[in-house]
Amino acid sequence: MTRTITRRKTMLWLALLLASSALAHAQDFKIPPDVEKLSAKAKETVEVTMDGPMLRWASKFLSADDPEEQKAAKLVANLKGIYVRSFEFDKEGAYSAAEVEALRSQFRSPGWSRVVGVRSERDGDNVDVFFKLENDKMAGIVVISAEPKELTFVNIVGPLEVDQLADLGGEFGIPKLNTKASSKPVVKADKGEHK
Amino acid sequence: MTRMDNDMTRMDMDMNKDVKGMDDALKNALRRQEAPDGFAARVLARVAQQDSPQKPVHRDSWLTFLTQPIVRWAALAAFATAMILGVHVYNVRRERAEGEAAKQRLMLALRVAGSKLQLARAKVNEMNANQTRNRQVKE
Repeated sequence: MTRTITRRKTMLWLALLLASSALAHAQDFKIPPDVEKLSAKAKETVEVTMDGPMLRWASKFLSADDPEEQKAAKLVANLKGIYVRSFEFDKEGAYSAAEVEALRSQFRSPGWSRVVGVRSERDGDNVDVFFKLENDKMAGIVVISAEPKELTFVNIVGPLEVDQLADLGGEFGIPKLNTKASSKPVVKADKGEHK
Repeated sequence: MTRMDNDMTRMDMDMNKDVKGMDDALKNALRRQEAPDGFAARVLARVAQQDSPQKPVHRDSWLTFLTQPIVRWAALAAFATAMILGVHVYNVRRERAEGEAAKQRLMLALRVAGSKLQLARAKVNEMNANQTRNRQVKE
């Protein structure tokens, strides 16, 4: 009887472990609670959370006749998730530098490379772009844009080929990034640091 | 006895004969006769029928065809089919609406991602241009 219960407990723990690791792999980050709370202060909030099945389901409704949607369908075909949080505020200083740093710090870990880090003293725009590489292939991209009245966090999880990135350029206003430099920082940050 | 007396006697005798005949006819007509078998029961039944409240008269209407089992089953099957079709159409429409909303969210997410990458690129280009300009000034 005790043995059966122990076995059941072990199986439950294993299942929980597998589920949590799958979840962690799918999202690979946590939005700090302080950042999530910013929506209460924000004038406008964009919150998109789409995992693999949801992306595939949504892509079924993309029109083959619309070139923009056609390219979007091609782009999301292999993605595992898209997570966006964007907050627009009435006034400056609605969020703290520590809150943004809490976001950035999650991507200063092995597997992630910061390819762009911009700190602009002049207009206060700070942008970070991180690439996740697996077997020398891009497995995800994170963009953290901290502007005086706007804070945006974008995480796209999944294999993104160079061609797919190139396709994005011009369609959604996404630039064609220099993917050859993906393992090195494209630009040294004004004040930021690169791991 | 006179002739007049004789006539009187003869008239009395004729009158007696007529009265007797009439009496016999009356007796014959009014003699007791037994009722036929079941007469009393029929009379009682008729009386009971007249006393009981009148039953509603069933009139034929177009709804009477529903009383036929095959028609009832057909109506039931048609109703069930209509229900299933209705639920299916509702589900298809709801799924389409949810799918369209999901598509809009996806496109919004891609546009936000694109615009922020564009911002990053613009900043990089700006900084590169500044550095190049500074280098040229120094040279």
